[in-house]
Amino acid sequence: MEERLAPLERQSLGCMLLKKKKLNALGFDTQKFIRFFFASNASVTIIVLVLIMLMLLREGAGFLKTYKYELETYRHAGLEFCDIVDRPLAQHQQLTSRLRRALGASLDTISQHARNRRDAYLNMKRQIEEESSLQREALSVALEQTPSAGDKIIEPLRTQLAIAGVKSAMSLTVRSFFSLDEADKIRAELSQLSPETKDIPAFLKQLNDHFSTSDKAAKKSFATLVKATEIFEEAPETLQEILIEIKEHVLQTKTAANEFNTLKSGRLKLLEAAENTQNPVEKADLLKEAAATQAMPVDFHQRIKLVTSRADELAEKVHQYITAIQKAAANLPTRGSPAHAIALLDEVHHELPLHVQEMQTAADEIKTWSPDKPVSFLTVIGAFFFGSNWITNSSWQDSFGFVPLLTGSLIISLIAIVIATPISLMAAIYSNQFASEREKELIKPVIEFIQAIPSIVLGFIGISVLGDLIKDVSEVTWLQWIPGFPIQERLNMFNAGCLLALMAIPTMFSLSEDALNNVPEAYVDASDALGATKLQTVFRVIVPSAFSGMAAAVLLGIGRVIGETMVVLLVAGNRIAIPDFSSGAGVVFQPAHTLTGIIAQELGEVSRGSTHWQALFMVGIVLFCISLIINWCARTFVRRFEQFKA
Amino acid sequence: MPPSASSPKQLPPVVEFRGVDFRYSTHTVLHNIHLSAERNRVTALIGPSGCGKSTLLRCVNRMNERFVGARVSQGQVFVKGKNIHDTDVDLTQLRKQVGMVFQKSNPFPKSIYDNVAYGLRIHGVTAKDILDDAVERALRSAVLWQELKDRLNQNALRLSGGEQQRLCIARAIATNPDVLLMDEPCSALDPIATLQIEELMQQLARDYTVIFVTHNMQQAVRVSDYTAFLHLGKLIEFGDTEELFSNPKQKLTESYLRGTFS
Repeated sequence: MEERLAPLERQSLGCMLLKKKKLNALGFDTQKFIRFFFASNASVTIIVLVLIMLMLLREGAGFLKTYKYELETYRHAGLEFCDIVDRPLAQHQQLTSRLRRALGASLDTISQHARNRRDAYLNMKRQIEEESSLQREALSVALEQTPSAGDKIIEPLRTQLAIAGVKSAMSLTVRSFFSLDEADKIRAELSQLSPETKDIPAFLKQLNDHFSTSDKAAKKSFATLVKATEIFEEAPETLQEILIEIKEHVLQTKTAANEFNTLKSGRLKLLEAAENTQNPVEKADLLKEAAATQAMPVDFHQRIKLVTSRADELAEKVHQYITAIQKAAANLPTRGSPAHAIALLDEVHHELPLHVQEMQTAADEIKTWSPDKPVSFLTVIGAFFFGSNWITNSSWQDSFGFVPLLTGSLIISLIAIVIATPISLMAAIYSNQFASEREKELIKPVIEFIQAIPSIVLGFIGISVLGDLIKDVSEVTWLQWIPGFPIQERLNMFNAGCLLALMAIPTMFSLSEDALNNVPEAYVDASDALGATKLQTVFRVIVPSAFSGMAAAVLLGIGRVIGETMVVLLVAGNRIAIPDFSSGAGVVFQPAHTLTGIIAQELGEVSRGSTHWQALFMVGIVLFCISLIINWCARTFVRRFEQFKA
Repeated sequence: MPPSASSPKQLPPVVEFRGVDFRYSTHTVLHNIHLSAERNRVTALIGPSGCGKSTLLRCVNRMNERFVGARVSQGQVFVKGKNIHDTDVDLTQLRKQVGMVFQKSNPFPKSIYDNVAYGLRIHGVTAKDILDDAVERALRSAVLWQELKDRLNQNALRLSGGEQQRLCIARAIATNPDVLLMDEPCSALDPIATLQIEELMQQLARDYTVIFVTHNMQQAVRVSDYTAFLHLGKLIEFGDTEELFSNPKQKLTESYLRGTFS
């Protein structure tokens, strides 16, 4: 028989209905307090995000104003005037270097043999001198001693040197362009080298003479080319002289303007301090100090007159330069040997018209140039978002163009996504649909572990392993059909892209695996019941159902890649220039800098509040916006997915 | 015991169980089942929860065997006179011959057209006119054509619950199977949608052999020609529906029908 429990005692109704006394402080009872506590934790994240946005905006917003001022000074002081001519003139150097290479190649056809013989002799001489350097040193020390060390000491040293000289001369391997007789002569001469003999050895003298005669002969037979190259090289000299004068002048103007500006803001600060202070002595001091910093503003008008007045002269020189190079180019041979030189000359011929045209426009432009043209905010925004140069700490003019950084970031991200997307999606499909339990237990933790690798460590791998690997592979002969091979730089966008792909894989893999997991089992039942094979079910039902989730996974992967800093800073090569797209897909093997990398690299070194500082914050704002947009897209994708989840 | 022998048999059975035992790895859930479903007739499987109705139904298209350790341990299942566990039986073809509709409607998140055409497509049909034709026939058979013919490209998940279930039926019959299995097809539907499906089931029996599981005894009476009553994995009674409900031969059947236990 079961034991009956005593019934529980019940309180009377009156007792239950009475309100209990609760803990109450500042109008909060416990319930409210706990609720408030949780709410505040949630709001902290939102508040922090808003603060970050405000911070970025506050620091970055000033950029447009300061950069506008800089561009105004650039124009008012006349730096722009110089750049009109200077920029296209840079092309001249490239043309000259091509001409020089062509000339060198041409001359080599005649004088190369003589020069090689002389250079080989000199090399052997150096080798012997190095091998017997100890004995030589000892002897010269002894010889220089005062009073003279005496034959007793000097003679043995001399013998030692002679022995060493003969020994190394005998072991010389003489290059094939010396005959056997000559080789013996060389050995004999070189074994007798001593610090006392000052004359040039006879055979060397002979080689020298031979070289200079053959060089003369070469120059004579390529006289037109030599002459044309000389004219070409000298063509911009007078132009550059004037330009340098003007440049010095405008740079002075700019420096003065900047100094005045610094003084002015300093004075304003002093005056403000004086205003605020109560102590009359201190106030007087501050006012005195402020008065001392009084400076004359720069008279742009007066100073620019000196520049504009020389515009005609400069244009005249530009025209002279153009005629000079055209004349020189007309004299360049278009056929003959060697082919290499002709190819280089062809390039010069090809590029010259464009250069001439650019110089022509420059000449016209400087005549009509006016320093008073206003700089609009649109120009400033354009200069930032479409500027193709990021130049800082320049003695001439800083410029903050955003395009080289953006292209770097975009190309690297593109590489990373192209590599990571198929790998992670396929891995996710395999692990979710086909893998056995044991395989799953291996695949998932391993891929997710990649996320735990610190990015700096991946950077090491990029520098020490992947860089060399890519370079070695690029030198394999049967892979030369790949554009960009063989590559020049170990650290390049492809290398960085590969590592970023590795970093994006865990994100993409996990999220797309979740998306696949969320596909209702009922779909699989329906597909199976219709007689679908596993592959058909996976690729016709499961993957399409998870598509939006997988797309969101890829987008979040892109977000991760765009924002990654350390790896790109270490591995991307950090060359601030728009990559050269002329080599097609080979562009990926060029180094580049990125939006994130530039901030990490430069923010620590700039002075707070400077234009450069603000420019970096602008880059930060853009980066923030990109991430925001990507996240928003990912969310939209997921929301579309949720809508159809039964 | 009234096995298949006692049921009327002017038509040869399409599905036949001969002494089937079914086990999930360690425990046996079906014991020595003898059952046959006549061509173009509706057969209802009734019984209390966990008696093995669904398992029995899923034996016909071998859907149970997707789980590790689940198998028919004794006896044979014949579909159209062929033992479906013979090694030369192609599972995909078997499932093409035996369509199935589930308790909860499960259209794919695709368009209505793609849903119905799915079965044909996975069996290699790509010709547009054949697909169009089959989709129309299937939707007409499922009494959906008039409602949906103008919005075949709409996502199937936007349809109402009853429409979704009829779409699933259309999808199952698009491959023109012989047998249609239905696992409690109305349990998630409202009374009106249930009525529509029940009417549909009777119409379908003209072209297909229908076997369905139900909890609702009234439904079995309304729809089926034959009824099988299962209890604890054993077939207790099988026969003409009217006869079984009005004059059960077994005590257990009688008490179940009276509601003494469920």
